Amino acid sequence: MLVRGCAGGELRHSLAERTKALAARCHALRSPARADQRSAERRRPRHRKSQTRWYVKQPTWRLWGEERVDGAIYTVYLKKVRYHRPTRSASSESDDEISHLEWETVRVRFVKAGTVERLVEALATDDGELESTYVNVFLATYRSFAECTRVLDLLLRRYEALAAEDVVHTTAVDTSLQHRKTLVACLHVWLDTYPEDFRQPPHHPALQQLLAFTQLHLPGSELHLKVLQKLAIFSAERNGSGVGGGVCLAPGMRLTAHHTSTYRLPHVPHRHFAEQLTRMDMELFKKLVPHQCLGAVWSRRDKDRSHDAATVSATVNQFNAVSFRVISTVLVEPNLKAHERADILASWLDIARELRVLKNFSSLKAIISGLQSNPVYRLRKTWALLQKEKSELFDELARIFSEDNNRWAQRELLMREGTAKFADTVGENDRQLQKLLHERGSPGVSHGTIPYLGTFLTDLTMIDTAIPDTVADGLINFDKRRKEFEVLAQIKLLQGAANAYQLPPDPMFDRWFDSVIVLDDREAYQLSCQIEPPTNPPKERRPKKMNDCNNQGHRKNDSIASTSSSNSSQFYCETDGIVNNAWKRDSLERRASPTRLSHGSSSSSLPSLDVSLSSANSNQKQANGKTSIASPAHANSRSGPDFYIIRVTFESDCAETEGVVLYKSIMLSNNERTPQVIRNAMLKLNLEGDPDGYTLAQVLPDREMLLPSNANVYYAVNTAYNLNFILRPRKPQQDELTNGKVRGKRP
Amino acid sequence: MTRPGPPNENLPTVKLVVVGDGGVGKSAITIQFFQKLFVTDYDPTIEDSYIQHTEVDGQWCILDVLDTAGQEEFSAMREQYMRKGDGFLLVYSVTDKQSYENIRHFHTQILRVKDRESYPMLLAANKVDLVAARAVGEEAGRELARQLAAPYIETSAKEPPLNIDAAFHELVRIIRNHPQQEEKQRRRRKFGKCTLL
Repeated sequence: MLVRGCAGGELRHSLAERTKALAARCHALRSPARADQRSAERRRPRHRKSQTRWYVKQPTWRLWGEERVDGAIYTVYLKKVRYHRPTRSASSESDDEISHLEWETVRVRFVKAGTVERLVEALATDDGELESTYVNVFLATYRSFAECTRVLDLLLRRYEALAAEDVVHTTAVDTSLQHRKTLVACLHVWLDTYPEDFRQPPHHPALQQLLAFTQLHLPGSELHLKVLQKLAIFSAERNGSGVGGGVCLAPGMRLTAHHTSTYRLPHVPHRHFAEQLTRMDMELFKKLVPHQCLGAVWSRRDKDRSHDAATVSATVNQFNAVSFRVISTVLVEPNLKAHERADILASWLDIARELRVLKNFSSLKAIISGLQSNPVYRLRKTWALLQKEKSELFDELARIFSEDNNRWAQRELLMREGTAKFADTVGENDRQLQKLLHERGSPGVSHGTIPYLGTFLTDLTMIDTAIPDTVADGLINFDKRRKEFEVLAQIKLLQGAANAYQLPPDPMFDRWFDSVIVLDDREAYQLSCQIEPPTNPPKERRPKKMNDCNNQGHRKNDSIASTSSSNSSQFYCETDGIVNNAWKRDSLERRASPTRLSHGSSSSSLPSLDVSLSSANSNQKQANGKTSIASPAHANSRSGPDFYIIRVTFESDCAETEGVVLYKSIMLSNNERTPQVIRNAMLKLNLEGDPDGYTLAQVLPDREMLLPSNANVYYAVNTAYNLNFILRPRKPQQDELTNGKVRGKRP
Repeated sequence: MTRPGPPNENLPTVKLVVVGDGGVGKSAITIQFFQKLFVTDYDPTIEDSYIQHTEVDGQWCILDVLDTAGQEEFSAMREQYMRKGDGFLLVYSVTDKQSYENIRHFHTQILRVKDRESYPMLLAANKVDLVAARAVGEEAGRELARQLAAPYIETSAKEPPLNIDAAFHELVRIIRNHPQQEEKQRRRRKFGKCTLL
């Protein structure tokens, strides 16, 4: 992201200032219209909202009406302009009759909808002035209605048309000149704010077009130089050091030594952990391209277009990765004593508390979500051992992310602290947080803010759904874009604020982060049930109860909504006890198809030093805690299904990276045969293709044991040794070995 | 509005959660249900955007709908909001086979989170207006509903909407008639205490 970097903090700062002002303007404009309609339909007071917005209510704007011209619809406002400071009398605030000595009414129009051509023309006002709100809304959102090349083309043609006009009508030269100046200013803003639009590798056609344009019309101008500079940067990037895509993976891949010196929960420096999580989030948040959050991009994208929202996906993946680490560290060692496990919970809560101070709401929510995920949350005995203060802290932090009242608590907090220097807001019932902020006082350094992105994504999805893209006559609904920009402007503002963090990276933390085993939801749930068996017997044994419920459901079918136009056959429910099968099928299908969870986790593979097996043998309890998992973890026969967690390394023909082995942990249950285990391993290792094209072998101290092609792996493995496996592409000569033959003999 | 408005006394709040894959039209269902409140302007950030007083079978209640459309891929926070729901609208798109397959996953997850063998849910086959693109037939939908022991409804949020109000109202009915309703509340209280201390 060299380009963004060179644009520098100054630009971002000024942008933040601008967007703040813009959001204010947008809002001020809308508020008169809103106030009217609100009274009738809404039931609950919403005064809270007006307090939290970045705007000052401007009673001087009044909606006049709409104006239609060919290809565009405008909303027209009447604006009262003050000439003198008015004396504050009761009448002057409310009265519409204004003394001409003090006021003048100006007519101002804003594009409500229009064709692309009209929208491009509107980048300059009627007088040719730069309308910065409009320009910013346009540049932030145009991708949802037009391609970059098309907009650039229209803009340049508009410039050329204006230039041509000059030659014919000499009278309007001033306005025309102003118009053109404004268009050039727009191009500057565009290049500075959205350089990615112009990347278009390998030939950067839009930038080339712009270059040709500036050479012809504006040679030697600032714009010309800027274009040349951008071109140079892009081509340097192309030729030189291409920055790899996997941000999170990179640190782990680089690791070279000291695999033993690593962190181990619960004995970790909490503040430091919070800072490092914040550092990871901050890097991703600063790279986030706000317009990728738009409903038209994020929520309407399909698999082929997933790169369109790459920076959003990266943020989501990091959020999930943090949650998975919470879940994993709590569950992964089934033999911990309950109080040891409670210490791990407490440790995460301490980290979460520090994240609150750092105003990192992304990782904070990720930790709370991890703690509230079912496999962790259901461990009642463990939670019961938590100190009272820690339980209170958990409740207080969880309240921040309450879904109540459309996530009001979270929105309010973000409004208050979003651009503040440090955390200072607590609810009156938040005893632990009050204590915390009191202890800390005001910190010497100011912090940025990292929001939980999901709330913005939902808001933008809802706007996208609720407001149509086009209005009558197929004109582009630009009011929708203004609405979306209110959300994008907030994101941009917070991105600017995130620059306040000063957090140096710690490679050891990255190593720890990458080394944590990620469990998929099935594994997590099974481990959780092993730690604390479910209180209810498994549902398979109680089909009778299900039938009762079904009957209940069936009976209800007679009472169909009076408001519904449908007939009762629409609602359907039968009484067979099929649930039993459904349950089993469910678990099978989920094993066979990649679930969301394991997809999410695939970004965080488990690079680790090749802890060559001898060392693992001699020292079962290693500092990083991985060996104890890989060792035969016999499930408690009393509770839950029997399974092992095995580690699978993929070995391809490619040269191995020095001493670095990537492995994945997978769960092996007692009814899984070789093809299924290979399939599971392939999923985790992100391999595609036919499972028959691979072989699986257990690594024993002196040799490898190739698993027969259809063995029950659970019973075939040698549990006297670590459960390390190698997955290899099948070689032709191996075929004869696979039919039930084991390479080497069993001890 | 010619009907008498909602009574002023404290009404029971019913929390409905809309779940399903991204792109199945969850947000369209929610928006369609609430659209009559938006008039011309819509603000998704207002605290009562998704709250509605509703009369079902002569009884008024406050419907509080949680739709996390756009956050589907934050998979780790799913169970957290599932815990809050009194009833679930399981939505798939009839044009997307995968979204149909994934319903089982949501179903299992809800039952686990609730620690229940059954829970108020309604299976909604959405986008039935897209007849030509339909990939999951009505029979397949009903079969799935039978296996999950949930009623089935076909919906469309396109104008004119089909069964949108009916789906929410039916879900309220399912919640009211669910046998474990009282037990659930009792347990919730008990567990609440347990985590506090």
